[in-house]
Amino acid sequence: MRYLLEPFGSPFMQRALAEALLLGAVAAVVSVFVVLRRLSFVADVLTHTVFPGVVIGFVVAGTSGIVWGASVFAVLSTVLITVLAGRSRVTEDASMAIVLTGFFAVGVVLVSRQTSFTSDLTAFLFGRILTVDRQQLVVTAVIGAAVLLLLGLLGKELLFRAFDPAGAEARGYRVLALDLVLNLVVALVVVAAVRAVGTVLVIALLVVPGAAGRLLSDRLAGITLIAVGTALLAGWLGLVASWQASVNHGLRLASGATVVLVLVLLYGVAAAIATARKVRA
Amino acid sequence: MSEPTGPVLLRFDHASLAYGRARVVEDVHGSVHGGEAVALIGPNGAGKSTLLRAVLGLVDVVSGRIEVLGSTPARARREVAYVPQVDTLDAQFPVSVGQVVLMGRYRDVGWLRRPGVRDRALADDALEAVGLAERKDDRFGTLSGGQRQRVLLARAIAQQPRLLLLDEPFNGVDAVSQQALLAALRRLQDDGAAVVVSTHDLALAHLACDEVCLLNKHQVAFGPTEATLTPELLRAAYGGQALELAGDSVIVAR
Amino acid sequence: MSLLQDGYARRALIEALLVGALCGLVGVHVVLRRLSFFTMAMTHATFPGVVLAALVGVDLLLGSGLFGVLVVLGVSWLTTRPRSDSAAAVGVVLSAGFALGVALLSAQAGFTRDLSAYLVGSIVTVQAGDLVKTALVLAAVALTLALVGKELVFGAFDRGGMVAAGYPAGRLDLLLLLVVELTVVTSVPAVGTIQAVALIVAPAAAARLWSDRIGPTTALAVLLGMASGVVGLAVSQAYQVAAGAAIVLAACGFFVLSVVVAPVVRGRPVPLGVG
Repeated sequence: MRYLLEPFGSPFMQRALAEALLLGAVAAVVSVFVVLRRLSFVADVLTHTVFPGVVIGFVVAGTSGIVWGASVFAVLSTVLITVLAGRSRVTEDASMAIVLTGFFAVGVVLVSRQTSFTSDLTAFLFGRILTVDRQQLVVTAVIGAAVLLLLGLLGKELLFRAFDPAGAEARGYRVLALDLVLNLVVALVVVAAVRAVGTVLVIALLVVPGAAGRLLSDRLAGITLIAVGTALLAGWLGLVASWQASVNHGLRLASGATVVLVLVLLYGVAAAIATARKVRA
Repeated sequence: MSEPTGPVLLRFDHASLAYGRARVVEDVHGSVHGGEAVALIGPNGAGKSTLLRAVLGLVDVVSGRIEVLGSTPARARREVAYVPQVDTLDAQFPVSVGQVVLMGRYRDVGWLRRPGVRDRALADDALEAVGLAERKDDRFGTLSGGQRQRVLLARAIAQQPRLLLLDEPFNGVDAVSQQALLAALRRLQDDGAAVVVSTHDLALAHLACDEVCLLNKHQVAFGPTEATLTPELLRAAYGGQALELAGDSVIVAR
Repeated sequence: MSLLQDGYARRALIEALLVGALCGLVGVHVVLRRLSFFTMAMTHATFPGVVLAALVGVDLLLGSGLFGVLVVLGVSWLTTRPRSDSAAAVGVVLSAGFALGVALLSAQAGFTRDLSAYLVGSIVTVQAGDLVKTALVLAAVALTLALVGKELVFGAFDRGGMVAAGYPAGRLDLLLLLVVELTVVTSVPAVGTIQAVALIVAPAAAARLWSDRIGPTTALAVLLGMASGVVGLAVSQAYQVAAGAAIVLAACGFFVLSVVVAPVVRGRPVPLGVG
């Protein structure tokens, strides 16, 4: 037990833990919807399309500009994706892949014009959870609260649409508007995660917890609980792993990456349990 | 069948429907009274689903009019319930039977609020009406096809509609579920609601419906069941897909 | 053009042409079968293979290729199980692969530099040996697609009919996935991981807007792929921006152009409101 608690003696590790838990919980709730609506690709696209926003924000206003830049691009790309998904001339997945890579390339071009190209790139893409400050925690908390509020208020309509889009449309709900809201919620999580885990790894937080929950439960409440639990556990254990590796074994393992790896491991455990259940039944 | 007892709840006034520039259904004309059940019959692609969607206000009426509950389809939608085909839904989705039926109350509950005691009572009554009260906590996907169709009807009933539209609810449904569906529909009609149901099953139309609308991209006939389900009219509706047997019996291809 | 005067620029150009052609060829099938997300996942999931190969000292193409085969088999198995959500499974694999790669790489010194090269490509440091490898892969893939291209198209449109006709549809599906994976690991050193998807999808999607027949679509996809390479390199040189990204933007540019221009040139299609 000491092993699991000793990394968190210092303030910066405590902040990292707080960020990981906060972000993980919020992302986990959203991931339930991502999995139910099969939005994994949309979520992946959004994690890449905010990248140029991150760069522009950084260039214009330093580290505090990142969230603003990311937010602008999050809204832009959410609208673009939602609209694209409604048209079917080019297949949906091809047009989304092109939007994703196009935006990402713009981000790379912008970064490549800077002098500190390589280190900035990796910071944007993989985050630096260990350098999270108080202000970042506040931002995460605010965005998290907004996300949970939106989901709480619109949850039943989002559920209805997810289960029966034709029925929802017949009932008078504007399916496109509901989809826009959910995509926006995903984009907000990406923005919140940018500084901590980086844009590339946040996709894990947006898919794996919900997927693990779905494996183990058939009820929305159960899925959500398991998803949140998994994310919290992964945040904690991931940080422990990274710290212990560094301090005890001299191995530098990026913290964002260890969190994701623990998350995937927990998914594996869930999959094993689910298979064992089926075999027993 | 008894005489129509209620006011006109749905009226087609030489209505033609189109998707964009392509006309898909021409010249539908007739009315449906409270307490009545009308069968929508025609081959695949005849426009039955389109017509139902037009009653919901989701398809453009390019000439003529559709009047729902004395108003336009969009405005009347609150009191119109639609029951889709059950196989359009994901059987793996993590919702319980009770939750599905409760969805019928959402629109009336409104945005930002939770369903209350009265909503839950209405949902429970609706589930009772289709005979599936004991399955309330089971996952929707664990029920048989016919049972799931009944749950979708319960969802519509929970809405307390005055007009009920059903899209081929009897396809592949077992006898028990069919009986339950018919009984629930009968109760709704007794309460004054009107029912429009698209179906391939002529025997069912004879059994349960007061009027029939024969459709094949245009209206072939709209009138009382006995008078409309004649071999000549059926052949006109189904084209070469109708097969005449000895006497007046006709078999139609699905 | 100054592009052709320096040795490295010449090599970069040849590599861009080869990779563009390769991606165009394969892209047609990726677009037909809606494998864009899968391809994306491939680029992320094969990352640890690259890192491992570098660690062990094996040739990068070989190492990542072999690792990629494992990933393809894994994802294939995951998505063919009943009651599985393939999108979520692909998402999990994508996350796992990339995190593993990052973790392994961060344990090395020179973390950020190697990672950047992987992410954005480094076409300008391409060696003659790399050109040969790319050319060989192009030849192999072209040959494979020439042999089974028709069957692959058949399977894309009517898998049921194909199975009924006695074709080994499952094995053909797997073959295509392996071809895609090979294309990905070959293109990543040139244009970078995420950009490799663009070069595979965008020229083919653009070509699809101009023609409804497989032959002309493939030819156009190959042409656009190569053109993206040339335009991208030129822009990269002129404006001092990352070459891989410039190539991708060129490909996306051709796509956007096609979305706008093709309907006008071909005559507007009748809008279908249904589905």
